[in-house]
Amino acid sequence: MAAKKLTVVISQGQGNNPAKRQLEEDILTELVLEPKIDVSVVPHLYDMSKDHTGLLFLRSVVGDIIFLSWLYPRGAHWILDRQGVKGHEGETLLKSESDEELEDDIPSLDEDEKQYPNAIGTPEVPNRKIYSLDLRDHSGPQVYVAEILRIADEQSVETVSLGGFDLGSPAAPPTNGQTENGNIGHEPIADQPADANRLAIKEATKRRWYPVIDYSRCTNCMECIDFCLFGVYGVDGLDRILVEEQDSCKKGCPACSRVCPENAIIFPGHKTPAVAGAPGEVAGMKIDLSKLFGAPSAIELAAQERDVELEADGRETVGMSVGIPKRQSGHQSEEKDEMDTLMDSLDSLDF
Amino acid sequence: MMGKFEAQIPGDRLYARNHMWFQADGDAFRVGFTSYSVRLLQDVYFLDWAIDQQSAVQEKGEIGEIESSKALSTLYSPCAGQIVAFNETLLDDPSKINTDNYGEGWLFRMQTEANMLTPDDYLKLLDEGWDETQRLIKGQLN
Repeated sequence: MAAKKLTVVISQGQGNNPAKRQLEEDILTELVLEPKIDVSVVPHLYDMSKDHTGLLFLRSVVGDIIFLSWLYPRGAHWILDRQGVKGHEGETLLKSESDEELEDDIPSLDEDEKQYPNAIGTPEVPNRKIYSLDLRDHSGPQVYVAEILRIADEQSVETVSLGGFDLGSPAAPPTNGQTENGNIGHEPIADQPADANRLAIKEATKRRWYPVIDYSRCTNCMECIDFCLFGVYGVDGLDRILVEEQDSCKKGCPACSRVCPENAIIFPGHKTPAVAGAPGEVAGMKIDLSKLFGAPSAIELAAQERDVELEADGRETVGMSVGIPKRQSGHQSEEKDEMDTLMDSLDSLDF
Repeated sequence: MMGKFEAQIPGDRLYARNHMWFQADGDAFRVGFTSYSVRLLQDVYFLDWAIDQQSAVQEKGEIGEIESSKALSTLYSPCAGQIVAFNETLLDDPSKINTDNYGEGWLFRMQTEANMLTPDDYLKLLDEGWDETQRLIKGQLN
């Protein structure tokens, strides 16, 4: 009898960055012939609507899932949770190249429970694991493939050692195709020949914007529901906070996330790592042309933020007219250079 | 001029200091990137807006984000006004920004009362600003 397969789902990045597409394809190609793995491709997780085929597929998976996306693992985990794909956070040994020193901060569920003793948690989490891997961590497919195979091996070892008393993983070996958890799993797909096209779910998506709550941190303090004036938040039958009207959320506004005392509100699409669910600050890989396109100075930004608050209080905005310190900007001149030399020199740099 | 490269600046429209062009289009302006911006960005992979359509914006207010082969940048409003519509087709495929930045690669439609630069003023700004731009880019190489 064929062993139970591990489900791997690759969630595509937004945009047309060829390097991203290549990495997705390379991982798919490597995994598609792996006997222990069922691999599928879905659009960007955050952009899929509730009844998108990709989410229907994800909800239909009963066993463990390895989920690869261009999102922070914490962001991906709690979007999945919000979309009804629940599970315990699987521990991955994969670390980002840039923040290995921060690895203690990467929250596994256990650590989170210690760090956030008052967190309300998620009810009715099925007894399976979801491993979220961040495709931004490494540039080549090998690290991901190795980690996926490691997790797959770990599962078979776990299964053997626990024998019939497997309580931890619904990916236990099927007994007559069905485990005591009612797990029917993936057998219908498992024996079909590999076909990369069949594995890709291509239904269109739209850009979306809404908060997701990390219930391993949320203490149900209700500051977000008090702060948000647009009716995004609500409570369920047990008076637990939830994102009730996600489409009422104002595109680009992460304010409730900044208000949350536990940093439990994630906007996975926000450019500030802490708001997007990062374990720590992540160094940018590209040059920042923000100044060229008119980025405000720190003072201008502060004045804007103050105006927003004044306006919210029904008061007159004051812009830069009140209480702005006068500072000198010291400019140094530098030698001229040619455009192409300059831009091309970026490519030869080893970041 | 940016170094020895000449930027193409059409004379049939106005310009903003943050390297966007404005062309009257009914009751609003069509706004897009100048060749100067596109030259610095190179291939655009991803464009996203941080605000909804019909939003009032302040000068230098954050409105979106762009990723290209050379850069990642937040985008800011060129002036105060109201952004009435975005060019939706760019969200799925932003390549028109590169192939037709003064035409189909327009970014958004905007209503504004702000004063704009004439083509000559903008060219002057480019001449004066080139040293500054190089400092900006080179400063990030170290």
